[in-house]
Amino acid sequence: MKKLVVLLLSIVLLLGIVGCTTTENSSSNSGSGSDESKQEGKKVLKLNNGSEPTSFDPPIGFDSVSWNALNNLMEGMTRLDKDDKPQPAIAKEWELSDDGKTYTFHLREDAKWSNGEPVTAGDFEFAWKRLANPDTASPAAFLAYFIEGAEAFNTGEGSEEDMMVKAVDEKTLEVTLESPVAYFPSLVSNPAFFPVHKETVEANPEWHTEADTYVSNGPFKLTKWEHDSEFVFSKNENYWDAANVKLDEVDWAMIDDTNTEYQMYKTGELHTSDVPADLSEELFNDGKAQVEDQSGTYFYRFNLEMEPFQNENIRKAFAMAVDQQKIVDFVTKNEEKPAHGFVAYGFEDASGGDFREVGGDLVTTDADKAKELLEKGMEEEGYDELPNVTLTYNTSDDHKKIAETLQQMYKEVLGVNVDLANQEWNVFSDEQKQLKLQFSRSSFLADYGDPINFLESFQTGHSMNRTGWSSEEYDRLIQQAKEETDEAKRFELMHEAEALLFEEMPIFPIHFYNQVYLQSGDVTGIVRHPVGYMELKGAAIK
Amino acid sequence: MAKYVLSRLFAMVITLWIIVTITFFLMHAVPGSPFNQERNTSEAVQQNLEAHYHLDEPVFIQYVIYIKSLATLDFGPSIKQSSTSVNEMIGRGFPVSAELGITSLLFAVISGVILGILAALKHNGAIDYIAMTFAVIGISVPNFIMATLLIQQLAVTWEIFPVATWATPLHMILPSIALATGPMAIIARLTRSSMIEVLNQDYILTARAKGMTTFQIVTKHAMRNALLPVITILGTLVAGVLTGSFVIEKIFAIPGMGKYFINGINDRDYPVIMGTTVFYSAFLILMLFIVDIAYGILDPRIKLHKRGN
Repeated sequence: MKKLVVLLLSIVLLLGIVGCTTTENSSSNSGSGSDESKQEGKKVLKLNNGSEPTSFDPPIGFDSVSWNALNNLMEGMTRLDKDDKPQPAIAKEWELSDDGKTYTFHLREDAKWSNGEPVTAGDFEFAWKRLANPDTASPAAFLAYFIEGAEAFNTGEGSEEDMMVKAVDEKTLEVTLESPVAYFPSLVSNPAFFPVHKETVEANPEWHTEADTYVSNGPFKLTKWEHDSEFVFSKNENYWDAANVKLDEVDWAMIDDTNTEYQMYKTGELHTSDVPADLSEELFNDGKAQVEDQSGTYFYRFNLEMEPFQNENIRKAFAMAVDQQKIVDFVTKNEEKPAHGFVAYGFEDASGGDFREVGGDLVTTDADKAKELLEKGMEEEGYDELPNVTLTYNTSDDHKKIAETLQQMYKEVLGVNVDLANQEWNVFSDEQKQLKLQFSRSSFLADYGDPINFLESFQTGHSMNRTGWSSEEYDRLIQQAKEETDEAKRFELMHEAEALLFEEMPIFPIHFYNQVYLQSGDVTGIVRHPVGYMELKGAAIK
Repeated sequence: MAKYVLSRLFAMVITLWIIVTITFFLMHAVPGSPFNQERNTSEAVQQNLEAHYHLDEPVFIQYVIYIKSLATLDFGPSIKQSSTSVNEMIGRGFPVSAELGITSLLFAVISGVILGILAALKHNGAIDYIAMTFAVIGISVPNFIMATLLIQQLAVTWEIFPVATWATPLHMILPSIALATGPMAIIARLTRSSMIEVLNQDYILTARAKGMTTFQIVTKHAMRNALLPVITILGTLVAGVLTGSFVIEKIFAIPGMGKYFINGINDRDYPVIMGTTVFYSAFLILMLFIVDIAYGILDPRIKLHKRGN
């Protein structure tokens, strides 16, 4: 009898607790799409999203784990082509008023939602106002600020009626901007500007959380969403350009670990993969790793409110002592382009020149000059000895390697001993914003495809400034560039601003970002934009 | 007995309340915010977000709001994954973690106990040394190394098992083994040492004298006493293993709840930090309670109510 009790107890201890949970197993045992994919002729692309999307509600999921996928579920007025140029999408055409401020978009007659209903201008008006509505609490709301009245509405000073976006009729949307924005057609390809199906959203605020209630208007529709585990897209037969969508299905796994992702890529369970850090050199040498530009800059910020970086010459000395080429060749080894300016490659001006190439190298590696500037700066400040410098980065192996290299370069070139410190990301970010760090690692990724997105960051008091640097001249140049309608002049103003930034050097760049990936030879047509999100509309698989 | 259970339950609630309070204030004392992004956001956007989640209120008010919703067992919405509530997260993640945990725990207990008994019976013999070498390796090899090794050999090279994800029973085998090795080694060592002690007791000698076989002695007399220390650690082990392992779940891409413990803190996702802490603590306290009850049944010498009767 006692034995029985003991036995029962051990069973209770081990199993009893989950007696209630085992019934739910069936849901997690639903085989992945792979069984179905064996059906004949079905073209299934297998991708990894890394983790659960933050949200598939366009204004909420402001990150790549949400928007990479969302970009293929929904479609805005325009869609970027493989050369990153905006092409007509839901809008078949648009007109611009003479003052460059009012866009009139004409929607396609055959644009439909996945539930068969037409996509209307009213859906866009509703979605864009929803983006700016403070109650939506969208982290991407600032992107709407280009529209007249949106900022006031978002900050609670204005009303919804005063936000200048209006459905003139069923298929015509008129939007008035704060100032002329030549790249607005490119901007509205951003997921923040995707329409939402008004009736669905009004009827069910939770519409975007499950596959069966999700309504989309893009090349694909959401057919299955197993939270934290996988989701499946199927071709949307109601899409206006469905004839040009070659895939039948896209299966998205959520694998957080790059090594696991790579192993699954090798066994054919995934069609693309990131490159594990330990293997990058080998995979580059074998020519397997592919590289695409990404519009963003890895850079360092000086804090102008802390000694010794109040001095321009000392800042310049620290900037010129760094050899960007060596860092990308021997430290990161990821084939990034070394950065000698802040704006990344890939922005074309009116005459077809690349902004970065026209702007040239604004900071160059020069050991002798650096030493000279350091001496000069110390003299100006009356230093016999340079105050202690601490370089801070957020805890990560990659950042650590670069920080240690900089430490070494400063010792060799300037004879300065720099201390290193690392902090957990959130603490680091807080202290950087509060100007508590003397000299710190930073990065910038563009939100939209124009150099002004990079340059506006360093206006006085801008939330991305974080250096304490302030220049009236710079602020004026940025303001002028934002209001200028002539493209050639606008680019000139931006070049002038960037040159000024490096004249005073509150920051210095290390490298531009890129996207490195492995991709199965069977897959073609996936587009990875430098600014923007993954494009699967034209993707195909053998 | 009923009195004992009641007073224990009361103590459990108090313990939980203390844990909730300390965690809540510690969490808000740490620098950072759930909306910290390296990318650009405007001041107004930041304020709208904070207002949306009541983070603009004084911490004490937030605490009162939280305790009120906790009283109704509502952990609130996640800030990072705004369309998901913490209750949903735990509801989805816990069954998966528990499933993995139970499988690996069964594996750990069964193989650990068998290894331990064999080692004790052949004390200082070859089997003992082999079993204990095994146990030392199990304790000293971290489970993420074990996991990577298993994937490399069994999934990539030999292609017997799938690399990762959580779909069929076949997918469960590698992560269960990887997760089980540590606990198995601990259990094996504990069983061995207490078994050796028990086997030297007089009553075992008596049993032997009566002509019982070794198998009978072990199963009828020795095991019950020898397993007491194992039961002791089982409470903690069950709570730890069942609520998910961050590393194993990450490597095998298992949709369990292990990641919420770590990501919640990294993201400063306050409701997730609280939800996982409360859930884990409640679970652990309950396990320890069950273990205490189990003692009383296994060993009549242990009295639950101190000066009772």
